Amino acid sequence: MRCRIKYIVFLIICLFVIFFNIGCTEKQEINDISIAEQYGLAYAPIQVMKERQMLEKKLPEDTIINWVKLVNTAAIRESMIVGDVDVGFMAIPPFLIGWEKGMEWKISTGLTCSPIGLITYKEDIKTLHDLSPQDRIALPQPGSIQHILLSMAAEKMLGDAQRFDNQLISMSHPDGMQALIVKQDVSAHFTAPPYLNQELKIEGMHQILSGKEAMGKDFSFIVGASTLRFHDNNKELYDIFFTTLNEAITFINVHPQEAATLLSEIYDMSPEETLDYLKDMEYTTTVKGIFEFSDFMVQNGYLEHSFGHVDEVLFKGVAYEK
Amino acid sequence: MKNNIRSFFWVTMIFALWQIVYLTKTFPEVLFPSPTSVITSLLDAILDGSMIQAIGYSLWVIFMGLFIGVFLAVSFSFLSIRWEVFESFIRTCISIAHPLPGIALLPLIILWIGTDSKAIIFIIVHSVLWPLALNLLTGFQAVPEIYIQVGRNIGLSRLKMMLHIYLPASLPFFISGLKISWARAWRALVSAEMIFGAAGGIGGIGWLIYKNRVFMDTAGLFASIIVIISIGIMVENLLFAFIEKKTLKKWGMHS
Repeated sequence: MRCRIKYIVFLIICLFVIFFNIGCTEKQEINDISIAEQYGLAYAPIQVMKERQMLEKKLPEDTIINWVKLVNTAAIRESMIVGDVDVGFMAIPPFLIGWEKGMEWKISTGLTCSPIGLITYKEDIKTLHDLSPQDRIALPQPGSIQHILLSMAAEKMLGDAQRFDNQLISMSHPDGMQALIVKQDVSAHFTAPPYLNQELKIEGMHQILSGKEAMGKDFSFIVGASTLRFHDNNKELYDIFFTTLNEAITFINVHPQEAATLLSEIYDMSPEETLDYLKDMEYTTTVKGIFEFSDFMVQNGYLEHSFGHVDEVLFKGVAYEK
Repeated sequence: MKNNIRSFFWVTMIFALWQIVYLTKTFPEVLFPSPTSVITSLLDAILDGSMIQAIGYSLWVIFMGLFIGVFLAVSFSFLSIRWEVFESFIRTCISIAHPLPGIALLPLIILWIGTDSKAIIFIIVHSVLWPLALNLLTGFQAVPEIYIQVGRNIGLSRLKMMLHIYLPASLPFFISGLKISWARAWRALVSAEMIFGAAGGIGGIGWLIYKNRVFMDTAGLFASIIVIISIGIMVENLLFAFIEKKTLKKWGMHS
């Protein structure tokens, strides 16, 4: 019996040591920044920043810059919770979900306002009314901006925000496009440029809903969020990063031709095509639509509560539209 | 009984340790919810019907897959007894397909079958068929020669030889094959559902986990995992134990 108790104590000590070690893996280095993004033309300013080495030019040589490409917002959030990533780019709804669940982060900047649309190949589907319960809709994930916009439109047009919640299928943009093209069981795909433009070029594909119709106004498609830890401990690096990002945005807006040439290589498209797609995008640091998303998500149970004052979710000085 | 008490002791210990770690507030709530919030979340999910629906859907899909898989495995094994050529064919198939995880076939399955429940059933059939067929073939070979001779002597037809001699005599192999198949199918199901989403309108337990992840409902995530563990334990320790008691032990075939 004594022997057994010894074992138990030993086991408990081991578990504690493991747990506390995990808890202590916060980053020690100060001159180190990790940025997470996803795929798509909405992240163009980040690509420009990377390609032109705009950040490297401003920072001391020993600063380590990690660019991380993650497959979805859930992965970005998880990396930010454990402290692997300092700055993450995503849409407003997933940001609000994380904030509500107690993540210590705020929005540092707006990035992109982008057209997004629900595309189908089925001729007889003209509006949301024509989607039957058998029609499956591909989008990045539940709780994504695409899902919330779809629910907004479903509430407006069909009176039931949750109408399509059980016919969603989670797919990355490229997979969703592939699934739509093979015309098997995905009837519609909610996507953004360049996938949106490429799908619409295919014979027979048409758009049945745009993001703007769903929301009723312009909104930020992507915003940049930072952990409080990064903002508070590395204020200098934080400021340099977001000033540079602002410069990258200005660069795209002032020199679209040059930006398109640069981006065309990354996205494997011709410069003309890229320029054409860039015209539909609006790159701006102003955060738009955060109140609308928050109100809708609370009213329809996607969030239990939301922010009282906008300062709770935006860092000081971040421009936003009421 | 003594074993049950011990298991219960350890489960309680794990919960206690969990609560202690939670109380130290080493981790943010979103990484490490308290056991009480997990249990509340579990009860909520059961009461609002979403958990029951998900479990029902998952079990329906897995039993469809198991049924087709068992049917195919038994048929293949019958054919192998009848024709030796067929046996070598099946053995080759097994050595090719058995080590292949169902999830690795995913991209192909999406292209060929699509993403609805048929695709998940296909993965389950793949997980069930090969281990079961392998066990049945081994079992048939282990049938004592004397049983077969007795069968021939009394003039049993081929089908009757199968049903009354080969199958009952290799029952221990069949049941252990079924156990492996179930375990593999259950794992395959949960992973496939996390990728395919709500197939055919309602999603299963894997999809529930995925939804909990994207909405950052960590307590719900733990709750779904507890349900998965419970179903696994129930089937492996209760259902299979019951079947063995009623057949192998009763007939004195247990090794």
